[in-house]
Amino acid sequence: MTLPHREADVTLPKPARKDPHVDLEKLDAAADLMAINMGPQHPSTHGVMRIKLWLDGEMIVKAVPYCGYLHRGVEKLCERLTVVQLTPIVDKHDYVSPMTNEQALNIAFERMLGLEVPRRARYMRTIIAEIQRIASHLLWLGTFTLDIGGTIGGGASLMMYTFREREAILDVFEMLTGARFHYNTHTVGGQRHDVPVGWPAAVKKMIDAVDAHMPEYEQQCYGNDVLVLRTKGVGVIDRELALELGLSGPNLRASGVDLDLRRDEPFSAYDEIKVNVAVATDGDVYARFDVRMREMHESIRIVRELIDSIPEGPICSQKPVKVPFAVKLPAGRQFYTAIETPRGELGTYVIGGGAEKGAAPYRLKFRPPSLHAMSALPYALVGHTVPDVVAILGSLDPILGEVDR
Amino acid sequence: MMSPLPAPVRAALAARWPEVFPAEGDLDPNGPLVPADSHYDLAALLKEHGYLLYVTVVATHFPTPEGDTFEVATVLRNPSTGKAFWWRCKLGADPVIATLFPLFAGADWQEREQFDLVGVRFAGHPDLRRLMLPEDWEGHPLRKSYAIDTPHAPWR
Repeated sequence: MTLPHREADVTLPKPARKDPHVDLEKLDAAADLMAINMGPQHPSTHGVMRIKLWLDGEMIVKAVPYCGYLHRGVEKLCERLTVVQLTPIVDKHDYVSPMTNEQALNIAFERMLGLEVPRRARYMRTIIAEIQRIASHLLWLGTFTLDIGGTIGGGASLMMYTFREREAILDVFEMLTGARFHYNTHTVGGQRHDVPVGWPAAVKKMIDAVDAHMPEYEQQCYGNDVLVLRTKGVGVIDRELALELGLSGPNLRASGVDLDLRRDEPFSAYDEIKVNVAVATDGDVYARFDVRMREMHESIRIVRELIDSIPEGPICSQKPVKVPFAVKLPAGRQFYTAIETPRGELGTYVIGGGAEKGAAPYRLKFRPPSLHAMSALPYALVGHTVPDVVAILGSLDPILGEVDR
Repeated sequence: MMSPLPAPVRAALAARWPEVFPAEGDLDPNGPLVPADSHYDLAALLKEHGYLLYVTVVATHFPTPEGDTFEVATVLRNPSTGKAFWWRCKLGADPVIATLFPLFAGADWQEREQFDLVGVRFAGHPDLRRLMLPEDWEGHPLRKSYAIDTPHAPWR
């Protein structure tokens, strides 16, 4: 399919590393700078965060993001709750894709304990993760285009359509788990809810609808000069800086790094299938937008490939948990493991042998991809204008629940 | 999970720190323990050998009868192979370790978070402020000596 793709005639600025800790007192023009706060209630932040901007006329000279408004002390809480009790807690981190949070946590515990996961559960996890990726990218697409006001028919029109698809996805998840948002369906060793009768057919129907509507979305975005002109060459993060900052997922791949943990460190059933990784090289807002759009097509393909071939068998290798102390982590063992979520590398650093006689982790550190994406803001914003802040922030797609934990 | 290091990296590490990285055999699956004064040099050497992606830093408090000890684990990833590697450094009751900010810009925020929550200081960090908690917060909540129900003013 050829897209109605119109190249905007924009020259890309040469990316240069700016010092985010520049001391403004030493600048000659310091007296003329204006400091403004964007947030903590700004609608484009999709959560609670604040960026303090120093402006020279319209141009941003320095940007300092402040996070922590949603800090709930989850890592401290994790030292008191047992392994079994933790899954519903991590649902609330990246609240746009709760399924992959559960998956990251339980895969970390399974790898630590050396537990097998039945093949049926691994297939289910892969399908769920890809559907969740589509849902997450749909929400991002709707809000991103809403923020920059760049779709045909006005800003909010595309968001209404993407939420229509997202509703269908939530219906599919509700059919599987009984919940629409905080699922608690992954557990150590497998899944808690088996595939209900008619679920594969419902998934196929939903996927067909999403696939049928994708060309509409692409036409509204790629074929729109407003969106292309506002995103090309804006917020460039070059390859070296992206790696140093620890960006991951679509943000990293938009900067030309071909790294995807689904392919490079396979989990669940990704070792049995081929994942085509979408990579772009420009590192600007448009590249990040483009990578996410292409990833949705790939997710649709993977779901279609797997949904008919879910193997028969058990869904969990462990006995159903009756008490919260059933799973114990080995004392003195510690390690890091990560999976690819819609936002990137969601890592978990676990140290075993904590409270409740080892049933709770001694220390649990999450490595949220959104926090690293946020830390790119001081570099990406400098030299742009205030309206570009909204585009750059939207393209990095941080979820504040995950940033602050 | 800890993946085996490629042979050239292993040889370079064994030449520099033979007691931590023996030329053969498996490394500590919990992450090799490196002297704290080699922390920066090890990161620089790994960066030269392709470990370009800064993943995370984790500080942990281990109270012992002899006094407080801390461990700082640093994770790097090689983007061309996709494999991660991490190492640990042990610190005493007054935990200070070199910052990796000159090597990895991402260390800026990650080290601020660990300073905020665990209280490990990173020498040479350009902007070591609290990240998550308000600037006037007292104590470091992820220390084991910080009770989970420590009272604090709900607003300030």
